[in-house]
Amino acid sequence: MLKRFAGWTLSAPATTLVVVFLVLPVAATITATFVEPAGIIAPYMEFFSSGFRRTVLWRTLEISLITTIISVGVGFLTAYVVARSPGRIKSLLIIAAVFPLLTGVVVRSFAWLIILGRNGILNNFLIGMGITDEPFSMLYTQGSVIVAMVYLFVPLMVLTLVGVLENIPDDVVQAAASLGASPAATFRQVIFPLAVPGLIVGAVLVFTGSFTAYATPQLLGGESQMVMGTLMYQRAMVAFDWVSASTIAAIMVVVTVAVVLFMTRAARRLNPMAT
Amino acid sequence: MTHPLAVEHLTAHYGTTKVLDDLSLSVGAGELVSLLGASGCGKTTTLRLIAGFLEPTAGTITLGGEDLTRLPAYKRHIGLVFQNYALFPHLSVLDNVAFGLKQRGIATAERNKRARAMLERVGLDQLADRLPGALSGGQKQRVALARALVIEPPLLMFDEPLSNLDAKLRVDMRVEIRQLQRANNTTAVYVTHDQEEAFSISDRVAIMHQGRIMQLDTPEVLYQRPANAFVARFVGFENLIPMKVTARDGDDVTAQAPGGVALALPKARFGDIPDDFVLAARADGLAVTADPDAKGLPATLGLRTYLGRAYQYQCETEAGPLIANGPLSSPLEPGSTARLVPVPDQCCVLKPE
Amino acid sequence: MPNRLHPALIGFAVLVYLFLMGPLVIVFGAALSDTTFLTFPPQGLTLRWFERIFEIGAFRRTIVTSVEIAFLATALALLIGIPAAYALNRYRIQLPAWLSTLFVLPILVPEIVLGFSLLRSVAVGQSAPIFLTLLIGHTLIVLPYCVRVISASLASFDFSIEEAAISLGSHPVKTFFTIVLPNVRSGVIAAFILAFITSINDVSVSLFLTGPGISTLPIQILAHVEQFFDPVIASVSVLLMLLTVAVMAIVERTLGLTFLAK
Repeated sequence: MLKRFAGWTLSAPATTLVVVFLVLPVAATITATFVEPAGIIAPYMEFFSSGFRRTVLWRTLEISLITTIISVGVGFLTAYVVARSPGRIKSLLIIAAVFPLLTGVVVRSFAWLIILGRNGILNNFLIGMGITDEPFSMLYTQGSVIVAMVYLFVPLMVLTLVGVLENIPDDVVQAAASLGASPAATFRQVIFPLAVPGLIVGAVLVFTGSFTAYATPQLLGGESQMVMGTLMYQRAMVAFDWVSASTIAAIMVVVTVAVVLFMTRAARRLNPMAT
Repeated sequence: MTHPLAVEHLTAHYGTTKVLDDLSLSVGAGELVSLLGASGCGKTTTLRLIAGFLEPTAGTITLGGEDLTRLPAYKRHIGLVFQNYALFPHLSVLDNVAFGLKQRGIATAERNKRARAMLERVGLDQLADRLPGALSGGQKQRVALARALVIEPPLLMFDEPLSNLDAKLRVDMRVEIRQLQRANNTTAVYVTHDQEEAFSISDRVAIMHQGRIMQLDTPEVLYQRPANAFVARFVGFENLIPMKVTARDGDDVTAQAPGGVALALPKARFGDIPDDFVLAARADGLAVTADPDAKGLPATLGLRTYLGRAYQYQCETEAGPLIANGPLSSPLEPGSTARLVPVPDQCCVLKPE
Repeated sequence: MPNRLHPALIGFAVLVYLFLMGPLVIVFGAALSDTTFLTFPPQGLTLRWFERIFEIGAFRRTIVTSVEIAFLATALALLIGIPAAYALNRYRIQLPAWLSTLFVLPILVPEIVLGFSLLRSVAVGQSAPIFLTLLIGHTLIVLPYCVRVISASLASFDFSIEEAAISLGSHPVKTFFTIVLPNVRSGVIAAFILAFITSINDVSVSLFLTGPGISTLPIQILAHVEQFFDPVIASVSVLLMLLTVAVMAIVERTLGLTFLAK
């Protein structure tokens, strides 16, 4: 008898934790946006009728998209080099990618504050080279946020894609060569198509991560480059407008879930190795 | 210690799929019975039910008169030998073998003594301090065997114990398993999909299909007198020819095969023959001859392959495609016509299904 | 893979790695600078910014809180995550597929939304103590790492080993501790480390669950940067990086670093 429910019994504590403290609270947050006396979609009408908030949404999407494209491109090329490096160098390169990944978001974003700030090294360097006369702030621009975000996600991309590339069997690559494909042709016609599903998965991680980021845009974008994450915090903790914060949360959840579902489905359809 | 095992009306489900259907099986004290069949036939399910890793939906399992059906697995004291050895990777060979004794609360000195003695019996006392990872496949299986035997179980069960070993070692190990089982006089259940292995090692073999035992008999009976078409095909009767009795005359029965040819079958070999029956023949049981007067099925010969002791022909007959062997001395060309003459010793009679 | 790479590609990878390492080296240097503002290369060398960390009460308190939360959350997540991972592998046929998705939900749902929802429903809605809510939040975000990493170890564990022990008379619960757990030890260590470091570094969930008196180190760093721009932040960052190095050393010792690349 016990055996029949053993699986449920053993997973019950974890299931309870997730349901009670994640599913229900998040559902409550989303539900709260639909029960306003002003009408069931009033909070959303308010959100989208505000030019400022629309700008924030578009800016967030733009930053996330650019970050994703750069991270995927840079990550893929780097991962390709790592995957094809000889053993010892490969492990070193992997360690060098793991280290930043295990270092926290705050530390990694803060590093760019030192680089891009008024007294930052980039300014000192530019002045030293005589390119510019006086320091100018590169902080609090869309560019500074994107640079720091790319910095955040490239290690993740590299590690994910090294795994993907190493899963491509050697003999497939050798078969292509034996059939007369040049290294470039092998890369374009064999390796890249086989890596596409992994690229999509990585892209989803980067996109959803940047779309919901808080610390990096807060440190490097500040008030002038407000994104969904910082706007949500501001609405909730500065303006104490929880309905508006909940609306932003709901939009984040919808965008995240939509991207995850759509892209993982695409990845599955494009996966030639799926059984 | 030796006890008979009785399994009665055992039924089991995986979810809503019935995997075992009213299965009954009795194994005498000291007897070794094999469960033989293709994967998915229910043989491993049966073993796992007896071991207590699965719960039956209906039926009982008794060992030496004690009802095991609701007893948890760890209280059943059944020795188990697994396909992939299932040695404890983090324990030495000696500790692996002593593990069962430790569970019974036997003191360290005593259990190490007994474990060493058992390792000596399987010829591995030199390796007692190694970890299982350092052993070869054959050595691992010996450790697994020692581990199961040292607890002196009333019942010993094997789940495809030799399928991860190479061919030569398989033959050596099955002899060794049989000797140890005989010497201890332990009741044993042996699961395998390898017919030769089952037949060579067992007192009796149960041939299983779709959760049922199709026939439970000694290897000799199974091999020569299968009870039904499934078992006949399983033990190599490749040709099943529907026949009709046309005349009964003392010791001989005359029967007609498709296409009208009449064959005489000696009652002495086949016993009672029903009016409608199926003649089951191995390839060796249909002798190919070019003699047009021979009493056999007319056939057109197709592809010929060389077996070493005979030629084998793919034949077209009124009874459908058949496989028959012909002598090396007179190879026949594909496309020629021939007769297929039943060899009574290599044939048997089945009831129609 | 065959070993022929275009030199341009190699050059590109070198630049990427400079890009990855450079900023961390800069933080390290900035922490040693004998100036009151952040600069690189350091002007003069001093360790006084490391001492300074512990002179600031807010840092002392938040370091303690962060370590406490990380330990408790990791322990809790392992406590409930190990049986869950075991169930997912051992009783796969009797459990629905969505259950394993449920356990990775905390990574799927935006952390900032989770933090805000916990604030709304638990801290305010149920008037739960803020420390407890913070602990719940952290347990949730580290749970997926525990379940997934231990599941991966269990996936390569042969459960007939467990059955062998049971058939030899070992009680199933005892078998779990004496046979199963020792064989997935490396998975448990890896899960512990990943969970711990995830909790220590977390911003998004903690953001809403800190209040007067209770805050975590990353949140304190964010708050400090908004007011001061002195090297003390760099030295705190160096401390966190040293923690990362320590963690990687432990992983290297126990599992080999390639484990992390999986």
